[in-house]
Amino acid sequence: MVKIVFKFFIVISCFLIFRGLVAEPLLDGADFDYGEYLSGQCLTCHQNSSDEGIPAINGADAVYIAKKLILYKNKELENEVMQLVASALDKEQIASLAIYFNSLEK
Amino acid sequence: MNNLSRRSFVSFTLASTSLLAMPAISTGSARPKVVVVGGGAGGATAARYIAKDSKGAIDVTLIEASKHYYTCFYSNLYLGGFRDYDSIGHSYDNLSANHGVNVVHDWAISVDSSARKVRLGSGATVSYDRLVLSPGIDIKYDSIDGYSVEAQTKMPHAWKSGTQVKVLRDQVLNMPKGGTFAMVPPPNPYRCPPGPYERISMVAHILKEKNPTAKIVVIDPKNKFSKQGLFMAGWEKYYPGMVEWIDNDTHGGIKNVNPETMEIETDLDTFKADVACVVPAQRAGAIAMNAGVTDGDWSPIVPASMQTKADGNIYVLGDASVASAMPKSGFSANSQAKVAANHIRGELTDSRVFPAKFSNTCWSLVATDDGIKVGANYRAGEEKIEVVDKFVSKTDEGNAKRKKTYEESIGWYNGITTDMFS
Ligand SMILES: Cc1cc2nc3c(=O)[nH]c(=O)nc-3n(C[C@H](O)[C@H](O)[C@H](O)COP(=O)(O)OP(=O)(O)OC[C@H]3O[C@@H](n4cnc5c(N)ncnc54)[C@H](O)[C@@H]3O)c2cc1C
Repeated sequence: MVKIVFKFFIVISCFLIFRGLVAEPLLDGADFDYGEYLSGQCLTCHQNSSDEGIPAINGADAVYIAKKLILYKNKELENEVMQLVASALDKEQIASLAIYFNSLEK
Repeated sequence: MNNLSRRSFVSFTLASTSLLAMPAISTGSARPKVVVVGGGAGGATAARYIAKDSKGAIDVTLIEASKHYYTCFYSNLYLGGFRDYDSIGHSYDNLSANHGVNVVHDWAISVDSSARKVRLGSGATVSYDRLVLSPGIDIKYDSIDGYSVEAQTKMPHAWKSGTQVKVLRDQVLNMPKGGTFAMVPPPNPYRCPPGPYERISMVAHILKEKNPTAKIVVIDPKNKFSKQGLFMAGWEKYYPGMVEWIDNDTHGGIKNVNPETMEIETDLDTFKADVACVVPAQRAGAIAMNAGVTDGDWSPIVPASMQTKADGNIYVLGDASVASAMPKSGFSANSQAKVAANHIRGELTDSRVFPAKFSNTCWSLVATDDGIKVGANYRAGEEKIEVVDKFVSKTDEGNAKRKKTYEESIGWYNGITTDMFS
């Protein structure tokens, strides 16, 4: 149920952001170059070729990525590697990663 | 020229001045030059990231002896029959095709750090503004009495991937019924701390099926090892009674090995093996020694950049470096390469340099669908790379979790090899 609500929330927020109707606070302070640098840590595992064992996130929605990272940071999603990575990211770093991965080709 | 920033213009001018002084060398390019020696986990990643992220502003040459890179990571899974050999081989074609890296298949023989030149096996020299060395390890053949280059066909170390892993697999498959497989792991520090124990698991996996009365004896020069509790619990669960691990205090030290009689002599006893994998002590690849950037067996580095302490124009990555808390792994080398690539771009093109961030996770396979992992985040301390936070798999986490961990490692393998070679 929580998952469905969450998905619904993401879809709606993507739509609104896409339409430019709301500014997305999760992406405040995003810095593309910083995201490019930080992405190095993720790209060891997350590639289009990695899919299945590890999800491909290139081209994923920026808000979706930011939300996932926050859930890992708060240990609300399981996976030791992701919890470790996310625990070391602050808000600006999460936003930067989110917009950078969104820019990559699927 | 309008793209070139002030700093790169200065380094360009300096480079041109030195070219005038030595007219024999022509770079054929006004762009700053980075030479990378070694196209493995550290070097291929560094070459790719510098070329990709600088978008052609830096001229990158990768010098790699082999045409194909067979990963050590997953070579144990090949040994255990989980992968075929071709699936762990990778070519350098995309690095030149997609990113314009100039790939030269040759040995780097020597480094003249004052003239900033690397001499190749062919006799040619390549000049650099910044040099990245990621040559991996050399085996210290004389660290075990009786071991030698010749001995490695009888008692393969198989610690640099390639054909020795194939030899070892054949030897295990053809071992006499009820025979003994002996493993001598290396002393610290060495490439891939959990590697020997994953190898033991994979050999046990084959023997359980093909030669169930065979025995494995591990004669360790150490008293403890990475993920020890997890491995030992796995051996007990899947291969009960097959693996005997003998620590250094118990056997009292390895005195010598004899590849003719296949004996391994310790203070306690002489062990006779049918197949033996002997992994000696290691040191940084020879080119790091030659470049004068080592202290003892390894290269000390500045944690914030991976520059060597001895020479700011030379960076050392991966196994060859003293990365303190970080283990010598492919993941670590790949992570360090990105810190170095960001720093080098900053130095040569004035792009932004961000604070170093390092990470590592080592996955190991214990048995079919039973994967375990250990990982950590690191930061650049003043003197050393320091752990920020870490985790390790739990002994009681259940089969579903272990299967997921194994699947995750497949994703990682595909990911890192794409990150190095695509
Ligand atoms: C059995 C085993 C299992 C492993 N499993 C894992 C694992 O699961 N995960 C993990 O992260 N790591 C694993 N590793 C460790 C990993 O393979 C190494 O840590 C990693 O390859 C180090 O990268 P590197 O760039 O330092 O050296 P390498 O990857 O060894 O690359 C060095 C390259 O430099 C070339 N070279 C050297 N000298 C010269 C020269 N003078 N001129 C030209 N070329 C030169 C070599 O040909 C080689 O291609 C494993 C290792 C072993 C042995």
